[in-house]
Amino acid sequence: MAMTGSTPCSSMSSHTKERVTMTKVTLENFYSNLIAQHEEREMRQKKLEKVMEEEGLKDEEKRLRRSAHARKETEFLRLKRTRLGLEDFESLKVIGRGAFGEVRLVQKKDTGHVYAMKILRKADMLEKEQVGHIRAERDILVEADSLWVVKMFYSFQDKLNLYLIMEFLPGGDMMTLLMKKDTLTEEETQFYIAETVLAIDSIHQLGFIHRDIKPDNLLLDSKGHVKLSDFGLCTGLKKAHRTEFYRNLNHSLPSDFTFQNMNSKRKAETWKRNRRQLAFSTVGTPDYIAPEVFMQTGYNKLCDWWSLGVIMYEMLIGYPPFCSETPQETYKKVMNWKETLTFPPEVPISEKAKDLILRYQRTFPLERPAAISIEIKSIDDTSNFDEFPESDILKPTVATSNHPDTDYKNKDWVFINYTYKRFEGLTARGAIPSYMKAAK
Amino acid sequence: KRKFEPGTQRFELHKKAQASLNAGLDLKLAVQLPAGEELNDWVAVHVVDFFNRVNLIYGTISDGCTERSCPIMSGGPKYEYRWQDENKFRRPTALSAPRYMDLLMDWIEVQINNEDVFPTNVGTPFPKNFLQVVKKILSRLFRVFVHVYIHHFDRIAQLGSEAHVNTCYKHFYYFVTEFGLIDTKELEPLVSMERRGCPDPV
Ligand SMILES: Nc1ncnc2c1ncn2[C@@H]1O[C@H](COP(=O)(O)OP(=O)(O)OP(=O)(O)O)[C@@H](O)[C@H]1O
Repeated sequence: MAMTGSTPCSSMSSHTKERVTMTKVTLENFYSNLIAQHEEREMRQKKLEKVMEEEGLKDEEKRLRRSAHARKETEFLRLKRTRLGLEDFESLKVIGRGAFGEVRLVQKKDTGHVYAMKILRKADMLEKEQVGHIRAERDILVEADSLWVVKMFYSFQDKLNLYLIMEFLPGGDMMTLLMKKDTLTEEETQFYIAETVLAIDSIHQLGFIHRDIKPDNLLLDSKGHVKLSDFGLCTGLKKAHRTEFYRNLNHSLPSDFTFQNMNSKRKAETWKRNRRQLAFSTVGTPDYIAPEVFMQTGYNKLCDWWSLGVIMYEMLIGYPPFCSETPQETYKKVMNWKETLTFPPEVPISEKAKDLILRYQRTFPLERPAAISIEIKSIDDTSNFDEFPESDILKPTVATSNHPDTDYKNKDWVFINYTYKRFEGLTARGAIPSYMKAAK
Repeated sequence: KRKFEPGTQRFELHKKAQASLNAGLDLKLAVQLPAGEELNDWVAVHVVDFFNRVNLIYGTISDGCTERSCPIMSGGPKYEYRWQDENKFRRPTALSAPRYMDLLMDWIEVQINNEDVFPTNVGTPFPKNFLQVVKKILSRLFRVFVHVYIHHFDRIAQLGSEAHVNTCYKHFYYFVTEFGLIDTKELEPLVSMERRGCPDPV
């Protein structure tokens, strides 16, 4: 017999309601992950069998491989229970900074593997209602097992921060590259644009629209090939995306004439000088954002191609087409693009390039040499990045266990389903067996 | 078993949750130890996951499970659960349900965070009594299910989380029976539970 009288829903506190919703979502996610993991496990087994078949192994060798594989899987099970934390990584260097935290080059202490660690401050995200976006980024990084997308290996959290442990791309980002070069040649541009087309297409096929393609989010691997990062993360709701932000501005900003009258060389210099600052600001830059994203009328995949066109312009001309002294001006120019998108006569580029609509053979460009070759002296070489001053890693003030339940008790269960571990990353001690690597 | 009128919003939600929880996975198969792998590691991962989920589930009804509503931790009129540990309660002691749950969750947390019981370093063996400890943990977790189903099922239904709890319970049940981790005696309250909306897993 039920002993408790039930309380009607209406009397439920909003805190309880939230907790219930979160629990349901967590359980649903758990079971859908369970399915996914079950399938992935079977895939790995099949892959192993296939590779062994291809290599024509003898039964005895097969048996050994199978048991080695089972051992790896067991190891994965065990590692799933390990509570990774900050203390498992040695921080080597700050390599990037964003609006909501920083990116560091780190080394996992036990394996010696090098990763990029993105640190995001929870408080900032809660305050700016970025939690959904973080989840979106985590989800896409997890889902996209694609060679066009920066791979994520682990994620964990403590009281203060979320940590994303991603593959380290030693080539730096496109923004830094563009800051270093005056312009790119048409060939170089063609290469990067072609790769970015494939990259964007691959996330579109997963059903994601990036909405914030910009040079800061195009990373370069050790061979100089492009990968996408930063999925509509915090940037998704950066002020730059909000029309109200521009509406409420004082429209009679007089400053713009100086910029307007500069020749393209000066424009490019000014642009490059201020570029890094723009990247850090929570306002962000509207330079690459499609007009329809500003308008409340809805947008589709095409907005990513718009951004790519802007980047292509910047590569060839030295600054993006709508760049101005202030984001407000830039915004106006974007909205008025039919008049404002012009090509400076002093920087001649081909008619073909001007068309901005380029068609590429769907070849596999990664086998070709990159447009600009990347130089890397060692695995932790950061010479392709700008210099960043050392900072105190954002340490939690109170010692806490990393246990998810502790977090839950501490009411930051908004982040509860956040922790993630990838098979490949966890078992990657020493060499990764070829059948576990992503198809390359 | 509770039914919702087709066509109502509740029914649609219910159906949706059911679908996402039941999609494409046979839980009975999912709990089986994959060929060539270590039983202890397989069990350990499951125990930690079950603990986390049961804890979450209890969290959703905990404000209706009070000293007043449940002065004695029980599973219906026939089963009374007493708490015992190595510290304050050396003898089995009758406690209120919320107090019992608190002690239980804390105790399990200590167990699974104890490297000597649940080693996380690759290569460190499990202790000899590992499965014994696990049996104790799982039997106690099972009591949470029993209590929630028998005393707080109304609340679960009201929250629309039957499908969630049921799936979790079924998963748990298949797991413990697959590896014989709970005595049949402990599972007895199940009979009366089935009448209250708990799925018949067999
Ligand atoms: N996986 C990586 N490997 C190497 N460098 C990286 C990696 N991820 C990010 N970076 C560097 O850190 C910089 C900032 O990263 P990112 O753009 O992800 O930060 P952010 O917090 O998202 O910033 P914002 O939200 O302002 O775009 C990048 O421009 C790049 O230089």
